[in-house]
Amino acid sequence: MPASTAGAASSRRNRRGSRAERLAPLVLLAPAVLVIAGLRLWPLVLGINFSFTGDGDRNGLAVGFDNYLTLLGDPLFRTALRNVGLLVLLLPVAVAIPGLLATFIYLKVPGHRFYRGVYFFPAVLSPVIVGAIFNLLLAFDGPLNALLGGLGIGPVDWLGDPDVAIFAVVGVHVWATFGMALVVFLAGFATLDSSLLDAAKVDGASLPQTIWHVIVPSLSRTIQFVFVTTMIGMLTSMFGLVYVMTSGGPEGSTYLPEYYVWIQQGQMNQPALASAASTALFLIMLVVGLAQISILRRAGKED
Amino acid sequence: MPRTRLTRWVVAIPMAVLALATIYPIVFTTNVAMKTRREYVLDRFSLADSLSWNNIVKAWTSVGMSRYFLNSVIVVACSVALLLLIGSMAGFALARLRFRGSSTLFLGVLAALFIPFQVIMVPLARIMADTGLVDTYPGLVLAYVAQFLPFTIFLLTSYYSTVPADIVDAARIDGNTVYGVYWRIMLPIGAPALLSVGVLNALFCWNDVLISLLMMPSAEHRTLMVGVTSLRGQYSDDIPTFASGVLIAAVPVLVVYLFLQRQIADGVTAGSTKG
Repeated sequence: MPASTAGAASSRRNRRGSRAERLAPLVLLAPAVLVIAGLRLWPLVLGINFSFTGDGDRNGLAVGFDNYLTLLGDPLFRTALRNVGLLVLLLPVAVAIPGLLATFIYLKVPGHRFYRGVYFFPAVLSPVIVGAIFNLLLAFDGPLNALLGGLGIGPVDWLGDPDVAIFAVVGVHVWATFGMALVVFLAGFATLDSSLLDAAKVDGASLPQTIWHVIVPSLSRTIQFVFVTTMIGMLTSMFGLVYVMTSGGPEGSTYLPEYYVWIQQGQMNQPALASAASTALFLIMLVVGLAQISILRRAGKED
Repeated sequence: MPRTRLTRWVVAIPMAVLALATIYPIVFTTNVAMKTRREYVLDRFSLADSLSWNNIVKAWTSVGMSRYFLNSVIVVACSVALLLLIGSMAGFALARLRFRGSSTLFLGVLAALFIPFQVIMVPLARIMADTGLVDTYPGLVLAYVAQFLPFTIFLLTSYYSTVPADIVDAARIDGNTVYGVYWRIMLPIGAPALLSVGVLNALFCWNDVLISLLMMPSAEHRTLMVGVTSLRGQYSDDIPTFASGVLIAAVPVLVVYLFLQRQIADGVTAGSTKG
């Protein structure tokens, strides 16, 4: 489709058209531009600015990097950062599980259509609903401990033990969202050249060999997309789970940066400190995102 | 790859177990919602003696879930309608009209796509408070529109880019204005994309808790998800009622999922193949 010539033709007609016609793009785009500029881009600038001002008595005064120093000194924020580190470490697992499951579904294991429909469902549920359900399931006297007790394990205080709770919350997040990545992987598989798989079959490649040498390289773009979106999901869509399952506890062990921002803004009335935490979260996301892309690019080239 | 029957089944069994683990929490919650409090305390795993709707009715009426439900429906409907209108106008203009600065604007949309709500929530709350929009339906609707508009524009722009330019040109030759082309040609042609993006946006807005918590602080304006979080404290000793509230919030999503699963998946994956 020669889009450029057609576009040029229509723009020529535009120029001949009435004034209202010429202004059409402006009119059509005005609401979107107003909303995005006014309520997304402008607040970003405001927030960064705001993070260099004070709270309470020093409201509105320039305080330099004081808020950031306060953050670094706050054990709760440090826990939040440590938990981000944990999420980054768990990221390959959170990507590999749906990747592997998608591979099996693509290879048409018995019942593959059913699995796709079932696995994807929790991904469309609100973290609030998922969190509320797991509050019941992970209760000390709840079903999971009863099941484990039947096997002679436990009981484990899933949401009450500071060393365990963050893993419980992250585990539930992975349970609730792996379907999203699975669907993305399946869309990637749909673009895969099946003759490559047939060739691997003829050559007698094993399943792990096929995955490593055929599927992973062919899906590198999809894998990269899943890595980045899964990480963004971990950093920005776990608020509901933390809020419902643990409220940051026990002993602040399940704090995440987004939850910290909420507490400082909504509960502690320290908006400037909250802005500093927001800005820090934004920087973390930029760094993690860019690092992932460059690592995956390099890995892609070596193949 | 699992070419023998045996390997296929070896893989299928853990997958079936996982499917069970995916379904069970929802079945468990439904079962609990049907139980009396006494039944739950005595044995939380047994099947409910009879299908009792008492808890559901209680959660819907006296607990106030009906009010929260209505709030959510109003806000979600208005947000999605506005998102589709503003998003399709912008998507059409970016994809099919030639004007100076169009690529810059598209870049701006992409940049906004990567700004998470958490990063701008403090200044946004202040803007809403300064303009008197905090704790109002328009305020929350506006916050949702701002949050999901970049994604909506991105998807609709890429969809409209696949519409042959000939169709637009033919409509112009037939004497349509640009607005006529948008209204009579682009909106109907875009229906599948609008459905997909609309469903996804409806889910995003319905499922949100953080934005709603920040923008709608008063109890009477609570959306359904915020309502569910408030149940947790109030009904910690009445788990069946709590489970009923959770179920009320989940059922609309389940219904939408059963009918529109493909459209949801299309929306989710749209960015991945074009990336």
